[in-house]
Amino acid sequence: MGTIQFQQVSKRFENGQEALKSVNLTFESGSMTFLTGHSGAGKSTFLKLLLCIDRPSRGQLLVNDVNISKLSARRLPHYRRHVGAVFQDHHLLAERTVFENVAIPLRVAGMADRDIGRRVRAALTRVGLLSKERRYPAQLSTGEQQRVGIARAVATRPNILIADEPTGNLDPELSRDIMALFKQFNQVGTTVIVASHDLALIETMGERVIELAEGSVVRDDDPRGGVVPKPSASWDSDVHPAVVEAAR
Amino acid sequence: MAFGFSRRRRDPWPVQRGGISAWLRDHGRAALETLNFVSRRLGTSLLVWLLVGIALALPAGLYLLQVNLTAVGGAWEGRPGVSIYFDHGADPKLADALGERLQAQPGVALVERITPAEALEQFQAFGGLQDALDLVEDNPLPLSLRVVLSPAATADDLVTILRLAERADDVDEVVVEKTWLERVGQLSSLVRRLGSMLALLFGVGAVLVTASSVRLAIEARLEEVRVMKLVGASDAQLRRPFLYFGAYYGVGGAVVAAMLLSLALIVIEPPLTALLASYDQPLKTRGFDPTFLIVTLSIGLILGVTGALFAARGRLNRLDAL
Repeated sequence: MGTIQFQQVSKRFENGQEALKSVNLTFESGSMTFLTGHSGAGKSTFLKLLLCIDRPSRGQLLVNDVNISKLSARRLPHYRRHVGAVFQDHHLLAERTVFENVAIPLRVAGMADRDIGRRVRAALTRVGLLSKERRYPAQLSTGEQQRVGIARAVATRPNILIADEPTGNLDPELSRDIMALFKQFNQVGTTVIVASHDLALIETMGERVIELAEGSVVRDDDPRGGVVPKPSASWDSDVHPAVVEAAR
Repeated sequence: MAFGFSRRRRDPWPVQRGGISAWLRDHGRAALETLNFVSRRLGTSLLVWLLVGIALALPAGLYLLQVNLTAVGGAWEGRPGVSIYFDHGADPKLADALGERLQAQPGVALVERITPAEALEQFQAFGGLQDALDLVEDNPLPLSLRVVLSPAATADDLVTILRLAERADDVDEVVVEKTWLERVGQLSSLVRRLGSMLALLFGVGAVLVTASSVRLAIEARLEEVRVMKLVGASDAQLRRPFLYFGAYYGVGGAVVAAMLLSLALIVIEPPLTALLASYDQPLKTRGFDPTFLIVTLSIGLILGVTGALFAARGRLNRLDAL
C-alpha cells in the first residue's frame, strides 16, 4: 500500500526559484522508479515533498489518496513512520553503534526491546552487515555505512522507500550492489523511488525511469508498461529466525 | 498488514497509540539516555548544577532565616518581659523587696532574680565573648530582675510595673523587651520580602540557566533530533530527552543548594545555638527538615523542566527533518 500521486504539483521557493513546475505523476503501490536529471533539476525537491519536509506551493500530493501536505502536525510523524528514507550522506549517528542506529525508527515507533532486536537483525541480515552490529559507523567503509543507512530506512518495513543519490559516494561496483538492494526491497511490495544522476547504471536496472529538467518531467519510460509485478518475497523470507538467533 | 492499514481504510496513517507501556518505555529510554549524556559531560553538568544550586540556595537560605526569626519572635511573644537592672553594689535585699512588690501586681506571672554571677554565666553562653570578658577583672554585669508578664497582662499593667520599677531605689535601667520583639518582627518581615523578591529573581535565573544549558545540549544532539524527526518521532518524543535534561539539571541544582545550606548551617549553628540558649530557646535551628528538602527538590525540578520546555519549544519547532 504505497500509491503516490502528484497532481499539478509546483514548488516555488521564497527566492523565486521554481523547483517543480506542474508535475503530474503516478507511482503505483509496489512499483520501482528511478528519478534522474542534472543537479538542480528538482530531484531533491521532489523527494522532500514526499517526506513532507517541504510542502507544494500549488497542486496536490496524494499518498494512498490522502493529501499529505494537509496532514496536521500531530499526524505527520505517523505518516513518516511508513516512509523509509536514504540519503547520500547516510546521517548515521557517530556515537551509536550500527545496531543502535538501525533501532532508532523502531524505538520511535514504540516497539519493545525484544522485537527491536529481531527487526534490527533482520534488517542487518538483508544488507549483509549482521556481523558488524556492534561496530561504530566510523569503523565501516563508505559502502557499509550506506548499507546501514538503508537498514535503518527499512527496519520498520515501510510502505514507501525513497533514496536521494544513495550511490553518490560509491564506486560503480558498490553502486550496483546498493541498487540491487533497493530492488530486493521492492520485491517485498514496497514502493521504491530512487533519485540518481548515474544514468548508465539506471538504464541497466530494467525499471521505470523518470527524467526531470528544470522542474518538469522530460522523460517517463517504463519497460514494464505500467504493470506492477506481484511481490515475489516477504520481509521474513530471506531471514530465517535461526540466522537471527545465531548472530546473538 | 502491519500498522493497521487494513483495519482503517480511510486513514492510512492512524495516530498510533502504543498505550501506557510504550509511553513508559519511551520515558525510560529518554531518562536513561539523558542520564548517560549528562554523566559523560560531567564538567558541564557540575557547572550547571552549581549555578542552579547557588540561585536556589540564596532564596531558600533567606526562607530559613525568616522561619527562625519568626520562631524566636514567636517564642518571645508568648512571654514578653521587663528587665530591671540595678546599680553596681546595690543591696540584693532591695531587689528582693521590689520583686515581692512586683509579684503582687496584676499581670505579673513570675519575677526572677538574676545575680551578677548568673548573668555572667548566661553571657558566656553567647560564645565569642569570652575573650572580651577576660579583659575585665571584675564581673561588670549588674544584679537584675526579670519580670515575666502573664498572657492576660494589659498595657496599663505594664505601665504600672514600669512606674514601680523606675521609682525604686538603686534602679539603673528598666528595659521592656517588647522593643526587641518588634525589631525581630520587623526584621523577619524584611527578610521575608527580600526573600520573595530574590526567590522570584533567582527562580527566573535558574530557569534561564537550565534553558541555555538545554539549548546547548540540543545543539550538540541536533543530528540525532533531525534523524528522529525524519523517522517519525512526535514533538513530544523529540522534546522528551531534553525535558529530562532540565529535570536532572534542576534536581541536581537543588541538591547542591541543599548541600550549600547545610554547610552554611554547620558554620553558623554553634554561635546561633548559643545565642538561642541564652534566651532559653530550644537548641535547634528550625526549617531544615525533610519537608523543606522535598519542597526544594520539587522547586528545582519544576524550574529545570520549565527552562527545558522553553529551550525545546524554541529550538525544536523551527527544526526541519534533515
